Amino acid sequence: MASVTINNVQKAFGNAKIIHDVSVDIADGEFVILVGPSGCGKSTLLRMIAGLETISAGKIAIGEHTVNNLRARDRNIAMVFQNYALYPHMTVADNMGFALRIKKADPADTASRVKRAASILGLEKLLDRYPRQLSGGQRQRVAMGRAIVRDPQVFLFDEPLSNLDAKLRVQMRGEIKALHQRLGTTTIYVTHDQIEAMTMADKIVVLHDGLVEQIGAPLDLYDRPANLFVAGFIGSPAMNFIHGHVEEGIFRSAGGLTLPLPEGIQPAEAAGRELVYGIRPEHIRATGQGLSGTVTLMEATGSEIFATVDCGGEVISCLFRERLALKQGEAVRIEIDRASAHLFDARTGQRI
Amino acid sequence: MGSRLLNKIGLFFGALVLVSPAILFFLWMISLSLKFEIDNGAYPPILIPERFAWSNYAKVFEENNFLLYMWNSVLVTGTATLLALLIGVPAGYGIARLKAERSAIVIMIARMTPGLSYLIPLFLLFQWLGILGTLWPQIIIHLVVTVPIVVWVMIGYFETTPMELEEAANIDGASSWQVFRLVALPIAKPGIVVAFILSIIFSWNNFVFGVVLASRETRTLPVAVYNMLSYEQVSWGPLAAAALVVTLPVLVLTMFAQRQIVAGLTAGAVKGG
Repeated sequence: MASVTINNVQKAFGNAKIIHDVSVDIADGEFVILVGPSGCGKSTLLRMIAGLETISAGKIAIGEHTVNNLRARDRNIAMVFQNYALYPHMTVADNMGFALRIKKADPADTASRVKRAASILGLEKLLDRYPRQLSGGQRQRVAMGRAIVRDPQVFLFDEPLSNLDAKLRVQMRGEIKALHQRLGTTTIYVTHDQIEAMTMADKIVVLHDGLVEQIGAPLDLYDRPANLFVAGFIGSPAMNFIHGHVEEGIFRSAGGLTLPLPEGIQPAEAAGRELVYGIRPEHIRATGQGLSGTVTLMEATGSEIFATVDCGGEVISCLFRERLALKQGEAVRIEIDRASAHLFDARTGQRI
Repeated sequence: MGSRLLNKIGLFFGALVLVSPAILFFLWMISLSLKFEIDNGAYPPILIPERFAWSNYAKVFEENNFLLYMWNSVLVTGTATLLALLIGVPAGYGIARLKAERSAIVIMIARMTPGLSYLIPLFLLFQWLGILGTLWPQIIIHLVVTVPIVVWVMIGYFETTPMELEEAANIDGASSWQVFRLVALPIAKPGIVVAFILSIIFSWNNFVFGVVLASRETRTLPVAVYNMLSYEQVSWGPLAAAALVVTLPVLVLTMFAQRQIVAGLTAGAVKGG
């Protein structure tokens, strides 16, 4: 096990700069998730840590050692690929024991380690099968088994769940997390799915266009997003953004809608700038007070109701936990929870 | 139900029309090889004779030292193919992985150049080396045919193997050579079989090189068959029998080796692969 230090790392393919300047410190045993939309550079960063891509500038260290010029095979890391990358001509047991075979480990020792990993993942009965005889979830487990057997310094996961169906994904999410708690190995995990990031990570690194937008614990990112991008990316359904400015101590939208200032914001510091008001759908309640509007869409899932409300030209999405007898086209009054609202500078995108 | 039957019949006839040139050609050759000369020249033509002329086949082996020529063919084709695999498979891997398309084109040009243009310089070279009486000149010149085939088939095959497999092996600690030997090569087995068969067929049937470079003792089968044509007359029966004997080993080999080309060997390696 080891810590991983990523220091001012850059990556360019020819003239195209994929990663501009990324620095992340990952503590020993931490579960860190790199998340961002496609093309943000998260997979490239992971492949640079793995040694599959060269580092254009900056430094990556695993433990004490800078690994910039170390080959992938000398880094003592294990990686689970999005498409599993199982060796098709080898049985499950051979797949899992491949790294030890390369190291010329004692075959008996290899067998016992493969067996132990198989029992952790529930693969005991599949050891003699070939990858083509396995289901998607089983292949996923074998790929993880191959990583466990090696007892590496760092686990790397590259979108490992994106090829599984929704139900299996939730199950494997739990299993990967349990596995991390059991083994305690430093883990770096790449995903574009913010739910995966929120549920599994000790620490989330939000990447966008090759830059780190924010690093923090999942709930910190949810409660205190550093900027508009993180605010919009974390949380589902996405946060409402309303453009406007502060006037006489209240927020006035471009369409003339007035909203109470978020708690802890002094009118003076917000006055005179272009602003974006952010409020999450789940922090809006229908109490019979507050803004009046018309329901334009209403979706009830049983546990909650998702609705969009048109308040004088601003369409606001709301998530109600209680069962309300709302109908499309009906008038409704919604109240914003000031404690959970945010103000962002429209020009810089930074939170105030 | 009726339309399904009709579909089947239609498909059957379609297939029959498509394969009939090849099949009829074979049938006629078999027929020729089993008829006496009088039947072979008969009009209207006779497909199945009243008396089979097995003696045609006996004649092939009696008169022409055919077994020696067959052994020559086996040595030339076998050695040229094995050498081609030895050189061509790693070469194809290297070209595919390094994306060295230009060197692939150079190899292709070697294949496209008429074989005859190599013959005279090589003939002089072999003469100078003093190996003209042996099979080596033919083996070496057959590499001009076999190596490009193997290289090109293998480039195509290695390009389709998912890169992630090799990256995974890399991360598992394998060196480049181990990646090739333990991962890339076993997965490419169907491709190697295809390259092997094609190389054998082209080398086995090659005629021009043998005609120029072979002496009486080092003839290969196609040359031997050609030498059965004499100026006075063409004896169709023995000629067809000889041609069939030449074709048979390649035919059997192809049918046998085809089983090795198991489609979807890489299935299960990567999702959707």
